[in-house]
Amino acid sequence: MNIFLENVKQFLEWSITKVPDIFERIGNFFSYFEITIGLYTFVVRWVFPILAITIFLRCILPLLQGRKRASAWGYLMMMDGSRVPLKHWENSIGRSKVSDIVIALPFVSRNHAVLTFRDRAWYITDLGSKGGVKVNGIKIEAPQIVNYGDTISLAGVKMTLLPADEEESGLLQQDDYTATLIPSGRLFNSSAAFALILLFQFLGVIQVMLAMFPEVNLAVTLTFIVFIFAETLHFHIKHWLSRKYLELELLCYFLCGMSLFIVSSAAPDLLYIQLAAILFGMLVYSVLEFMISDLGRTRKLKYLLASTAIILLVLNLAIGETRYGAKLWINLGFITFQPSEFVKIAFVIVGTAALDKLLTTRNMTAFIAFSGICIGALVLMRDFGTVVVFFGTFIVIAFMRSGDLRTIALISSGALIGAMAVIAFMPYIASRFATWRNIWKYANTTGFQQTRTLIAAASGGLLGVGSGNGFLASIAAADTDLVFGILCEEWGLLIAFIVVLIIVFLAVYAVFLTKNCRSSFYAIAACGAASIFLIQTALNVLGTVDILPLTGITMPFVSRGGSSMIASWGLLAFIKSADDRIRPDKAGD
Amino acid sequence: MKLLLRRAAILLFFSLLVLVGLVIFTWQYVNNSSTWVQHPANRHLYANGKPINLGTIYDRAGRVLLQMIDGSMSFHGDKTVRTAVMHATGDMHNNVETSAQMAFPDRLSGWNIINGIYRLKSRSGSGSNLTLTLDAELCAAAYEELSGRKGTVGIYNYQTGEILCMVSAPSFDPENPPDIDADPEKYEGVYINRLLSAVYTPGSVFKLVTAAAAIENIENIEEKRFYCDGKLQIGGDLVTCMSAHGEISLSQALASSCNVAFGQLSLELGPEKLQRYAELAGFNSSLEVNGIKTAAGRVELADAKDVELAWAGIGQYTNTANPLNFMAYMGAIANDGLLVNPRILRERRVLSFVNASAGENKQIFSPDTAKKLKALIRESTLSIYGEDTMRGLGLCAKSGTAEVGGGKRPHAWFAGFLDSEEFPFAFVVVIENGGFGSRVAAPVALKVLQAAVNSF
Ligand SMILES: [Zn+2]
Repeated sequence: MNIFLENVKQFLEWSITKVPDIFERIGNFFSYFEITIGLYTFVVRWVFPILAITIFLRCILPLLQGRKRASAWGYLMMMDGSRVPLKHWENSIGRSKVSDIVIALPFVSRNHAVLTFRDRAWYITDLGSKGGVKVNGIKIEAPQIVNYGDTISLAGVKMTLLPADEEESGLLQQDDYTATLIPSGRLFNSSAAFALILLFQFLGVIQVMLAMFPEVNLAVTLTFIVFIFAETLHFHIKHWLSRKYLELELLCYFLCGMSLFIVSSAAPDLLYIQLAAILFGMLVYSVLEFMISDLGRTRKLKYLLASTAIILLVLNLAIGETRYGAKLWINLGFITFQPSEFVKIAFVIVGTAALDKLLTTRNMTAFIAFSGICIGALVLMRDFGTVVVFFGTFIVIAFMRSGDLRTIALISSGALIGAMAVIAFMPYIASRFATWRNIWKYANTTGFQQTRTLIAAASGGLLGVGSGNGFLASIAAADTDLVFGILCEEWGLLIAFIVVLIIVFLAVYAVFLTKNCRSSFYAIAACGAASIFLIQTALNVLGTVDILPLTGITMPFVSRGGSSMIASWGLLAFIKSADDRIRPDKAGD
Repeated sequence: MKLLLRRAAILLFFSLLVLVGLVIFTWQYVNNSSTWVQHPANRHLYANGKPINLGTIYDRAGRVLLQMIDGSMSFHGDKTVRTAVMHATGDMHNNVETSAQMAFPDRLSGWNIINGIYRLKSRSGSGSNLTLTLDAELCAAAYEELSGRKGTVGIYNYQTGEILCMVSAPSFDPENPPDIDADPEKYEGVYINRLLSAVYTPGSVFKLVTAAAAIENIENIEEKRFYCDGKLQIGGDLVTCMSAHGEISLSQALASSCNVAFGQLSLELGPEKLQRYAELAGFNSSLEVNGIKTAAGRVELADAKDVELAWAGIGQYTNTANPLNFMAYMGAIANDGLLVNPRILRERRVLSFVNASAGENKQIFSPDTAKKLKALIRESTLSIYGEDTMRGLGLCAKSGTAEVGGGKRPHAWFAGFLDSEEFPFAFVVVIENGGFGSRVAAPVALKVLQAAVNSF
């Protein structure tokens, strides 16, 4: 309340001093304009957080409460005549409570079999059960095709496979709504949320241009015109073609907009590159989403991406360029890029596995070997932040595949010993740990970035000083490493938190999607991609504010950097693919 | 998929860790951002380590005490005034820890946690304004009265808490800082505001603490008579008096500052009670003047032997007092036992009021005790200084001559208040190694008080 009065007081004081000025210098365009600039920032700095909070809520609520129209891919007719829907492409059957189809009979194994829908046919796989699996009375030794009408017997428990109702070529939409995370009947219109994002960006770009006045950089204007046009086009095409929820894209438009604001403040000359990266990222996103919609195609893609990744890493080590003490870049003459960013996509896809594979062979040799190569190469490149990202993601994927806490703990402690050895032998890393939680002592040396971030964050308060009015953006590499500080200073703590919360939300959302996912492939990929986003954000944000040691890593979607932006969009495709729910307005199609 | 959902919880766990990190950051932000923002590397506030927008510091009459014009600092136009308030405003290089510059940088820069450093302004705007409760002319008069002696003069309104006069000597002209190192004797402790940050042996002014304990703990104290033959024998040790005062009442003992009478009182009260009343009077704790912590005076009687207890009751032994704390004690006696916390900022902000209200006003003893003590001091003051001194203003005061040993002259104290609704002032004067309190400190205090009354 007091702060509010303070603002009113400031405004009154300001008006009293300015009003005579206006009359005195009427006709003097520049002084008149300067007053308008002051007033504009004064007003919009209250509007931005309100808009951002509204956008955030309007995007996350539909994603979490969006109802699952339970699509059954087929049915199992049990002996008592009941029809059990097969809700996924992979359905585990067994005595265990976490089986998709639970048969609570003592002679059925905990994980007895998996019924998989693959290449338009159903297969049954015995998971090494005691009682065995029979199809039409014949015991199976290897995964075997099951036709509609066939009888499957699990240790004597008989069931018949039936097709889904014919109406939609084997793809039934049943009016059986499953429970949702947030039970609410309210429907949100994604177009309205999109309009709010456009409004935010429109007001923002005016703020940036006014802050630059009178030396307005036309690149800012042009970039935002193209960006707003592109996202509108992207949104409308998606809205028309796709039957899925679009709030995920909306959140990323918002984040990309913030990255353009940051680049406008820090390095307006590089805006076009950032814009190009966003546009290309959207393209990569759409292509990848299409590619992985088919599991057979994805399997081929997996080998292609894995081998490309290894080649890129080897090339990087051979001909890479060193910047800021890390060898992360490949220069092709006309373009420079960071291979490790693209390796992230390969890493996620290599880690995935379908449920039958996942339950039959606990074997992760290929994935572990690939992880080892990636992490080893990154250590040689001295990119230790990314090492942590890959390792954390490895833990998530490995745990989802094996469910074995003991092995994970073993690997983690091994990694910890390795990390300690690295710290002990590399003075450059050790010095970062010496600075950690001690930044004010090293304020002008190793603590430079962190102290400046905190000073800038404090200067911004909750509402920020206005985009383009900060000082942190002029510090070297601030638009990649210190984006959280720039957001705090120019946009205020509230918006900076919302940006971080969007990333945290992506992780929660990926977990939420796992429950009703068609295939474990998509579930693992979504969680893997989300964990890359999450760990990167944690290292970036918490590193610059001295909660964690500083690692100099980018924040997905927000930091300046073409490779990082494109990879972020690519990873987003994995999260998107895990969500096969249908928007209410497309449900009738 | 239920199986995978269960395993995916590991990602939720990671998310939780990130949220915990954010909460820790928020906590640090709430607690420390006002400090972070004042770092000289903040280019909103500093250019090359020098402040850009400092704002303006005014005194209570609207006189400009310190201002930032085009990146350079300017002080009040009069040399004596700016020297007198140097400790309040601070100098050009932030040498005075308790100065307004150092204590209220966020107010001067206009910072708050919601708006940050942002202010509605044209590009050549300035910082914020700060009005102190001081009367700069009164401070100048007090500084003149000290006439080069080291010490301090403080006057405050015991009803509102406003400090009107705060002077510490030695000081210097902040616009033309002298070479401090060239004369270490003359500029000893020049950056210390002696009113807030110094402690001195209190000497006889401490008898007002002993008297308060006696009033509340010894029955019929008004009728009690003491006998002084010039010395008090305690075991093998002696407590001596200026002269043999004969048979005297408590008020006569206070008027003649009889060591024997107060030594006897201390022994009668015992160490626990005396300790308790010293602590009520503000010893062993510091006050916060708008967040500026004062030095704490000290009274420790736990291990005192009898003779030491007697000396402590007359303000010697290991006792020390902070001038401002003692002035606030004087104010509490005048204000019916209610100690109104002194403050230096004129405007009360809603928020600062809420924050500070807990520690602000403290009833240290009952109005009845305060009234008795007040009458006692008034009676003794009248007997020494007569009706004509500060006529009609109800002067109540006690002098002190605090022995410091080491062959040095004693510190001269004079502390008290005006028992007046119109001029509710409490005051303290300390002159280091000045000699007799009644002869050295009292004239300074009376002149400055008269000036305060005239200008209020
Ligand atoms: Zn005597």
